[in-house]
Amino acid sequence: MIQFKALLIKELKEAFRDKRALLVAMMLAFMAPLVIFGMSKMAIKEMVSKPPIYVKITGEEHAPKLIKKLADENIFSFASVPAEDQKLWDDRNIELNIPESFAEDMAEGVVINVTLRADFSEQSLNTPLRRVKNAIRDYSREIGYKRLLVRGIDVRLLQVVNLVEQDTSLPSSNFMMISMMLGMYLLMAAFMSGLSVAIDSSAGERERDVLEILLCQPVSTMKIVLAKLTSATIIALLGVVLTLILTSVSMSFVDLSKIGASFSLEPMTVVIIVGMLLPLCLFASAVQLFFSFQAKSFKEAQSSVTMVIMLPVMLPFAMNFMDSKPQWLDFIPVSGQSLIMEDIFKGLPVDWFALMATTVITIVAVAVFVVGLTKKLQSEKVIQSLS
Amino acid sequence: MIEVSNLHKSFKSVKALDGLSFTAKDGEITGILGPNGAGKTTCLRTLYGLLKADEGFAKIDGITVKEQPLEARARLGIFPDKFGLYERLTAYEQIDYFASIHGLAGQAKKTAIEQIIADLNMEDLAHRKTAGFSQGQRMKVTLAQALVHQPKNFVLDEPTRGLDVMSTRILRNYLSTFKEKGHCIVFSSHVMQEVAALCDRVIIVAKGKVAAQGTPQELCELAGESLLEEAFVKLIGSDEGVAA
Repeated sequence: MIQFKALLIKELKEAFRDKRALLVAMMLAFMAPLVIFGMSKMAIKEMVSKPPIYVKITGEEHAPKLIKKLADENIFSFASVPAEDQKLWDDRNIELNIPESFAEDMAEGVVINVTLRADFSEQSLNTPLRRVKNAIRDYSREIGYKRLLVRGIDVRLLQVVNLVEQDTSLPSSNFMMISMMLGMYLLMAAFMSGLSVAIDSSAGERERDVLEILLCQPVSTMKIVLAKLTSATIIALLGVVLTLILTSVSMSFVDLSKIGASFSLEPMTVVIIVGMLLPLCLFASAVQLFFSFQAKSFKEAQSSVTMVIMLPVMLPFAMNFMDSKPQWLDFIPVSGQSLIMEDIFKGLPVDWFALMATTVITIVAVAVFVVGLTKKLQSEKVIQSLS
Repeated sequence: MIEVSNLHKSFKSVKALDGLSFTAKDGEITGILGPNGAGKTTCLRTLYGLLKADEGFAKIDGITVKEQPLEARARLGIFPDKFGLYERLTAYEQIDYFASIHGLAGQAKKTAIEQIIADLNMEDLAHRKTAGFSQGQRMKVTLAQALVHQPKNFVLDEPTRGLDVMSTRILRNYLSTFKEKGHCIVFSSHVMQEVAALCDRVIIVAKGKVAAQGTPQELCELAGESLLEEAFVKLIGSDEGVAA
């Protein structure tokens, strides 16, 4: 125990004294809340506001009431577009054609053909076109209802089937984006925060000629590996916790109620997330140590380990594009934790069986890496290549 | 006491050790001389338990290294050929680290560290971070970390390489006092004058086995030369690698 304590204290001292590396390691924790904060601010702005739309209207004078209705919905004639937006709306080129006979047809109850002309396949026009269509449809329906009413017909007759839509998403899961991004950042924090410490304490020590003398000491190689693993894991976990705390704090400055969403991390949720990510931090550090001990220098380790850790970080991304996920993804490290976190953020109950299974499998994987690394450090091939 | 008996070790087709045997007694400084590639490093690594001999054994104070590597290492102080330092730690912290690895704790550890710092006259260095230390200062830290647990046996692998005269003298004086206290010191070197001046017994290793052994005086007589260097060249049978 004296030995393990000494090994661990030394690793932590070195990790915390390398201020620059530590700052880079914690960068993700500082960056994540900023990005999430900024993106949610922007999303709210998009969702809440109805920016003005400018449409090239011909025959404006024939339907003053329709024009007023459009103006109420923030849809205006191209003639009134401000100079700075003129080019944009000219390019978007939405045309609305009101026939000369509008007032006449209206009085006679004939169907009026109003033409909306635009490039319907253009993505950026989706929202403006939808708003124009809705405004005209509302206007048309209002008048239609009034016509029936004055003829003594119950408007409800028009509604043969009423489709009742029941949204099963819980109130807290409305604002999915933040949570999904946070989940991704937490996984990345688990993998990135401990990286420099893992490389420094393995390939770095080898490069600085202190590894061989350590291996000559009366201490088991397993203890050395475990001390290095613990130290890197502590830093990784610190990154995860910091990301969680800072995101929670920064999100309290965003008024999510505007879009009917909320974001709050219950203490219990935080405990589950941190508890679930601890084995993952161990796993990340074990993988990083395993591969960076193979490298002869800090630089070599940096390039090879970065490639190795890209894989688990990419996994959640890849899963987003899978139509049917194979069952085993629920249980393996990284994807298992990612899926559970997704459920937690959706407000769904935690799948305790999956959580247990992933945790056990992750810890077994860590044990395999630790034993493998210990064996490797005892192998004559590694000793021979020390100098 | 360090005892090496009939060590054999091959790496693929290369025979690094070919029946190497010698004994380094307590209260003596034993020098290991040999050209590059003679098997010195392999021999020392086998002694530390990092490599396993194909045949033969190494014993430290009667403990077989292969069977009980940790117990054997606990009786050993090692001064490696490339001494790296933990540059983010102070000299004191580094010595403390090695003391703890050797199982020292509490007051005993504190006393041991202070003793070695006083012995090596490095009080002014103790609480500075080791980054930027001169070669001599680095040597002192390495020496202190190797000896803080007062090992009975002390192995130095080319310790004077890169040291100036003053640092070499400090090292020599320290080894002499250590010898007088009855410790067993094994010393591998290329520098003939140093071996001649310091060692009680010299073992000349060539091609993985002992080419000759005895006091420097005896070796000179054996080869019929007056200088150890000449004797060395004659005894290993070639001048290959001597210039290195």
